[in-house]
Amino acid sequence: MKRFTSLLLVVVLMATVLAGCGTGAGKGLKVGMVTDAGTIDDKSFNQGTWEGIKKAEKDFKIEANYLKPGGTTHADYIKEITNLYDAGYKFIVTPGFKFSTAIYEAQEKYKDAKFVIIDAAPNNGKEGNEFEEKVTSNTVAIYFAEHQAGFLAGVAASLQLKEGEFGFIGGMEIPAVQKFNWGFQQGIKYANDNFGTKISIKPENVIYEGSFDRIDAGQQLAAQMFDRGVKAIFCAAGGVGVGAINEAKQRNETGEKVWIIGVDVDQYHEGLLKDGKTSVILTSAVKKIDTVTYTMIKEELDGKFQGGKILTFDVSNDGVGIPATNPNLSDDVMKSVNDVTAKLKSGEIKVADSNDGSLIK
Amino acid sequence: MSNLENKPNNQEMEGLTETGKIKKVRIKGNRNLVVSLLAILFGLIAGAIYMLAIGKNPITGYYFILSGGLKNLERIGNTLATATPLIFTGLSAAFAFRTGLFNIGAPGQMLMGGLCSTALALTLNLPQYLFLPVILLGSMLSGALWAIVPGFLKAKFNVHEVVSGIMLNWTAYWIVYYIIPTYFKAEYLETESAMIPANASLKVGWLSSLFQGSFINLGLFVAIVAVVLIAFILDKTVLGYELKSVGYNRHAAEYAGISVNKNIILSMMIAGALSGLAGAAFYVGYASNMQIGVMPSQGFDGIAVSLLGNNTPYGVLGAAIFFGLLHSGKGFMNAMTKIPPEIADTIIATIIYFSATSIFIERMLDALKRRKRGAK
Repeated sequence: MKRFTSLLLVVVLMATVLAGCGTGAGKGLKVGMVTDAGTIDDKSFNQGTWEGIKKAEKDFKIEANYLKPGGTTHADYIKEITNLYDAGYKFIVTPGFKFSTAIYEAQEKYKDAKFVIIDAAPNNGKEGNEFEEKVTSNTVAIYFAEHQAGFLAGVAASLQLKEGEFGFIGGMEIPAVQKFNWGFQQGIKYANDNFGTKISIKPENVIYEGSFDRIDAGQQLAAQMFDRGVKAIFCAAGGVGVGAINEAKQRNETGEKVWIIGVDVDQYHEGLLKDGKTSVILTSAVKKIDTVTYTMIKEELDGKFQGGKILTFDVSNDGVGIPATNPNLSDDVMKSVNDVTAKLKSGEIKVADSNDGSLIK
Repeated sequence: MSNLENKPNNQEMEGLTETGKIKKVRIKGNRNLVVSLLAILFGLIAGAIYMLAIGKNPITGYYFILSGGLKNLERIGNTLATATPLIFTGLSAAFAFRTGLFNIGAPGQMLMGGLCSTALALTLNLPQYLFLPVILLGSMLSGALWAIVPGFLKAKFNVHEVVSGIMLNWTAYWIVYYIIPTYFKAEYLETESAMIPANASLKVGWLSSLFQGSFINLGLFVAIVAVVLIAFILDKTVLGYELKSVGYNRHAAEYAGISVNKNIILSMMIAGALSGLAGAAFYVGYASNMQIGVMPSQGFDGIAVSLLGNNTPYGVLGAAIFFGLLHSGKGFMNAMTKIPPEIADTIIATIIYFSATSIFIERMLDALKRRKRGAK
């Protein structure tokens, strides 16, 4: 016992000496991120943001760090923002609508820090007349045109598969997810009307699972839809979508041909089968969170931080769309999709970001 | 698990069987404290090894956990605020353990308590001195009612409370998922209830400003009262004696004329009421409203708190504050040292592991003692 104790002491002492050398913080910007519900490797939202920050870290020699709150309440978020601030991180990125009240408070409390909030604008969360949305000069709020991404993915998938039944699995029924769904349905309709495809989508195959993290539930929902004859499912559901991708992979391994349309990032590599060559991901409805996060950091370094603004990223500034390369889409389909994208940019096609009653859910 | 259920508190065991030897009881009590402290120490050493393994300095790591939890009044307040729900769920788990029950249904009871207090806070409008007691009472009642189900199933049909408890956790989760957006949704916040009005919140101005705007709230005082009260019930009342007897040996208790079924249901109700209070402390105290789609981790953490606190009320109080310190300090450690949050969680998990397997530590102490004796 005594020997063990002394050994341990030696180890600890040595480590102190060694690790003591490596704590010198570099000058320049310190960029911090607080994760939303879910982990840093969630294959979509958190990961996208963090990858943008990592890229900036490499290119601009900034310092980067992320914190994972203990819960998803206002208090949990404020605590982590305080931790970052006290540690000298004065540029803080928060992905997710759940941060809206925390950033509302933090932007006032820490006036010398900069904040980037994605998918929401800071507000006080109150009702009726007491409600206040405020983007102070040290904050940028970012929205994405998810409906346009969903629309393009819908057009691309319809053109590639030409006929059959489609489905949709959403996470929580929140605007960002709903907009993906509505855009997707409009995309299918547009392809049917203008390119003569015969894709249908039934109400029972449009489902919001209710969470972003239950992988098993996603797998079950996908299995049920595929059993009902659905050929491709659009998943805008974080981890739930990972379950659906797993189900599609299993079915493809046994020779059944079913597809998943990915979300947020290019999920092609998530859908690769055992052979490593074919993927179940037909295409993905992409929100370029990483690029936008990177740009925000770059603008700050260049002294062009657009504080006080609410920015919307859509096709016109290449903030949303489908990936540039889609191995599962034919060249003809890509060409048509590019045409449609151009028409979206010029305003010739309009995609509604709300449900006028003609869309499912 | 059977280990947890059947392992009565050492201190009590000695007290009951060897009533005359008070001195021995005291030694046992200290020994429990030693075991808990050793569990923490081993956990911290394991944590230090993790940090070394990723090339970080454990001393600075722990320094920043401590300063992150205690550096200024705001942080101390937040540590206590984080600990508050844990005190309640820890008490809940401990109380059930002492009656030989495993209350894994605490998250569900906490959700129901939180739902009831949120509903009351958003529906009624009373002056604060009346409002807060009503809300606390409501949360206690709903937690207790929710816990009757596993208690009843256990008593009447011998359905294991772990099975029914876990099922009811998800039932509560989906009830909240339905009720909050349907009846109490915030106008501008998705997946959240409307904000709790100031006169219904356990966060009160003077306390928040005393702790420099931290999230500390009146729940802490209620929790401390609960600790004293539960300690009194367990150690000083006939009810506590009966509950514990059922925990030690169901059949012996029955033979002695104690109604086992009544006591099982009663114990679950009290445990449920405590978890319900945790819901109030969390949703209308620490948080400013209720969110859907989240199973409160405090419910499960309560089990760990109870184990580390050796299933005694005062032990729970200490353990909860310790966990509160770890949870609230780890973020600052992450920020200062870039030790990833996952490592901090692993350290906490390791401490839980050592406290759950405290039997090994006890064996080790026995072996040490024997060797010492042998040496003489």
